[in-house]
Amino acid sequence: MPPNARWNRVVGALSSLKLTLVCLALLMALTVICTLAQVPLGTHVAVDRTIRTFLVWWQPEASSLKIPVFPGGGLVGFVLFVNLALAQFLRLDWSRRKAGLWIMHLGLALLFLGEFATAFFQVESHMPVEIGQTRDFTEDYRRLELAVVDATDAARDTVTSIPDSIVKAGGEIAHASLPFKLRVKRYYDNAELHMRRPTDPPSEATGGVGANLLVHPEPPVSGDDQQNAAAALVSAVAADGRNLGTLWLSNALGAPQGFLLDGRDYKLSLRPRRYYLPFSLTLKEFHHDRYAGTDIPKNFSSLVRLKDPMRGEDRDVLIYMNNPLRYAGKAFYQASFGKNDTLSVFQVVRNPGWLIPYLSCALVALGMMLHFGLKLGSAMGGSK
Amino acid sequence: MRRSSGIFAAAFVSGLLFASWPFFSRGPKSEFDVRGFSRLPLLEGGRIKPIDSFARNSLLVIRGQQSLPVDAHRLSASEWILDAMLRPEAADTYKAFVIDDPDVLGLLGMERSTERRFAYWQIESKREEIRGQAERANGLDSGRRSRFQTSIINLDHRLELYERIKNTVMVSGSDDPVGEFETFVKLAPGALKALHSPAKAAAADREAMKNLAKFIDRYRFLAQASAFKPLPPRSGENADEWTSVGESILSPAGGLDPHPGLPAFVHMAKAYKNADAAGFNDALHGFEAWLSREKPKAFSSAGSEETFNRAQPFISGMTLYVMALLGFFAWWGARRAWVRSISMGLLCAAVLVHTLGLGARVVLQGRPPVTNLYSSAVFVGWVAALLGLFSERIHKKGFAAAGGALLGFCTLLVAHHLTHSGDTMEMMRAVLDSNFWLATHVITVTIGYASTFLAGALGIAWIARLHLVKKHDAETDKALASLAYGVISFSLLFSFIGTVLGGIWADQSWGRFWGWDPKENGALLIVLWNASILHARWIGYVRERGIMVMAVFGNIVTAMSWFGVNMLGVGLHSYGFMDQAFWWLIVFSAGHLAFMLLALLPPRFWTREPA
Repeated sequence: MPPNARWNRVVGALSSLKLTLVCLALLMALTVICTLAQVPLGTHVAVDRTIRTFLVWWQPEASSLKIPVFPGGGLVGFVLFVNLALAQFLRLDWSRRKAGLWIMHLGLALLFLGEFATAFFQVESHMPVEIGQTRDFTEDYRRLELAVVDATDAARDTVTSIPDSIVKAGGEIAHASLPFKLRVKRYYDNAELHMRRPTDPPSEATGGVGANLLVHPEPPVSGDDQQNAAAALVSAVAADGRNLGTLWLSNALGAPQGFLLDGRDYKLSLRPRRYYLPFSLTLKEFHHDRYAGTDIPKNFSSLVRLKDPMRGEDRDVLIYMNNPLRYAGKAFYQASFGKNDTLSVFQVVRNPGWLIPYLSCALVALGMMLHFGLKLGSAMGGSK
Repeated sequence: MRRSSGIFAAAFVSGLLFASWPFFSRGPKSEFDVRGFSRLPLLEGGRIKPIDSFARNSLLVIRGQQSLPVDAHRLSASEWILDAMLRPEAADTYKAFVIDDPDVLGLLGMERSTERRFAYWQIESKREEIRGQAERANGLDSGRRSRFQTSIINLDHRLELYERIKNTVMVSGSDDPVGEFETFVKLAPGALKALHSPAKAAAADREAMKNLAKFIDRYRFLAQASAFKPLPPRSGENADEWTSVGESILSPAGGLDPHPGLPAFVHMAKAYKNADAAGFNDALHGFEAWLSREKPKAFSSAGSEETFNRAQPFISGMTLYVMALLGFFAWWGARRAWVRSISMGLLCAAVLVHTLGLGARVVLQGRPPVTNLYSSAVFVGWVAALLGLFSERIHKKGFAAAGGALLGFCTLLVAHHLTHSGDTMEMMRAVLDSNFWLATHVITVTIGYASTFLAGALGIAWIARLHLVKKHDAETDKALASLAYGVISFSLLFSFIGTVLGGIWADQSWGRFWGWDPKENGALLIVLWNASILHARWIGYVRERGIMVMAVFGNIVTAMSWFGVNMLGVGLHSYGFMDQAFWWLIVFSAGHLAFMLLALLPPRFWTREPA
């Protein structure tokens, strides 16, 4: 077979509408699987394992073997996108009658691109802020970091952040800005922390609150309203090999723990990863309106002061339901509240592709109306 | 031609007359002005509604119906609530509580028999036991409760609602509410004096304070227990601060300058107890006069809602749809033009009544038509019926109209069953409180549901013809197929736009366009399925028959995404409406699969000659 013919066959297959149908069917199946998987797994994990992946893997219980069982959303989406693009250019003629189809498929292609952009670039985090507090960072509850804070200078903290993936890998962690090494002895994705009773075995921690705790590993949870309490047993070792302290760190523990070294005060904590912002928000007021005579929430709104010295911004912003603050590529949404209505929690999303769906929706709607409008016109004309 | 339009008009008008029948009926025969009482406004669940709505919804929750048979006659919801509030000793003997669960019956020490309705007095002795069991069950996640636990929580909830109603106007069983109240008002000024300056107080005032303490305990209980707040704020008070009878009496002004509604309610209570209709009506009319002077808006909107409740447009609409549907069947059998005219007249009347009902809800609620599952069912039926009427103009074979009538009937039936969960005009959670998105996203998605269902109904009609009709004309089959194609295109358009608009709303409120959550996935499935049908048709994978089979499957997809995803959290152990609905959903899907199989049978099973 000449290479050209083979090439043509591949292109023909890739652009065929049969492939479109297969992809649509697979996508429907995936959607159903993803929906059902959310019941035991929670939304995030279910989506990560079925949609935001190229293959759906199945791991038999008590086995490290992973078997791909189904194409994932990424693969199906990619094939569908290629299929759409090829079919469009190879099979559809440029005519006025087909203009609607062109416009709607262009919009569809954009929608695919938007979803891929979301999958790769979207970062979600949270910003809890109490009335009167000023915050210039957001927190990612699903990713952790081991933070080493040099708190010697009361006015300014020096923070060294180590991502949880490195802590999890274990072993020895050295960082240029730290005069000591960290040795990770244990790491649990999820653990239960109890006060140690006299009959319990001695704690492995030598200092901090961890010395009074019994840490028991638990299977990780992934439900939408559940959170893992990760725990790490970490020793700090000075350059001369002296053990400065072995601590149990956990995001379930509030206060940081630490030690003194050469007159400097170091505090260690395992906490949600922080993303620092070049601007700050101060919560001035928080309102939680209810319907008269009930506890049914009617509206949540936060009045914040936005300060950005770099851009010379200093103004009040009202964030409420269905009305986020979009600033510097990030959107701040009213997500939650607490502490007797003195704490407001914003969900912070950075998604560079957020405008794409708006555009694509308009295009597809326009295309369909054009196309089906023409068809309806001829059907109505035909019936007379 | 003239004759047929005359018949059409006659059928249309008689349909409307039928629907307006509730306005002509005089209602319950009673000396008491029950209807006037049922139109009084109250605040409950965050909105102002008439006592009638509250009574209907409460009786629905407690008994599953909007009326209650007592001896030989039927009590309306308002009559029942009057008895429950003002003559609890009588209401306690009404068999209002339905108990099905054998284990709950066992707990109550009752044998399983044909009787499943019980009166409050039969249950009262086990009240504490029920409360304790319900509290224990409440500690569990709703998905992990056993059938018994779910039922006992449900029973406890119903009993509590009933007990609250009993203690709304007066402490249940109070012998002389007027006397109590008047003594309280007489004692209040002196007692207050004694309270503010105990040293200088006269002996009589100190005595008054002591006596008052007894009353205060009773009224405090009343303030906590009451089911609703019937007293609107007076001028100068915060517009949201409606109060219950107990709250109003205990308010700082309660004894010194009582709310005009207070004497009205206690006098109504006493008169009702003593079967003094004139006294009851006097007190009621006095309060009505005050309301229409001071709170004309709340008073008239509550009155309008009571009128709407009484009209029950969706019930008469349902009946009209069935009659129209039977008419179309008769027409296909008899082939007489006048039968068709009658059916069309009835269908148009049904759609008009449906439209008026929908419009009335929009006006009463001040919201776009779809705000919850109940109203989505009402709206789906309306769109499907309208679409059916419109499509009927293109191909006058009766199928589109009959499909519209069938869907109108079915969705109103579903809506009717959804009312059991309580107030259908409930307030919306904060995130949903956006008329703009309710009017755009929700409406378009719901139109998508409706048209997908209509396409499915056409598919079923086509399949039925395949097996039932002897003499086939290719023209009719073709007309059906092209109708189905048009309707599927229409639903692809609306379900796509609706789905993406939903994404945009999600982006506005949660910061993500698409989160793959169950409801979003359900909407996506409809889009994907409709797109598949159109693409399959385009490449010639499916022809007439294939499209029809796929359209029928579209009904299953839509039903799953409309109701199925709401049941995801529902475990096997749960009990109640959604569980029942789950079985209906399975029956619905199985029925549609059966139709698809029928269509896929080889040609020798058809009555039609294969082409």
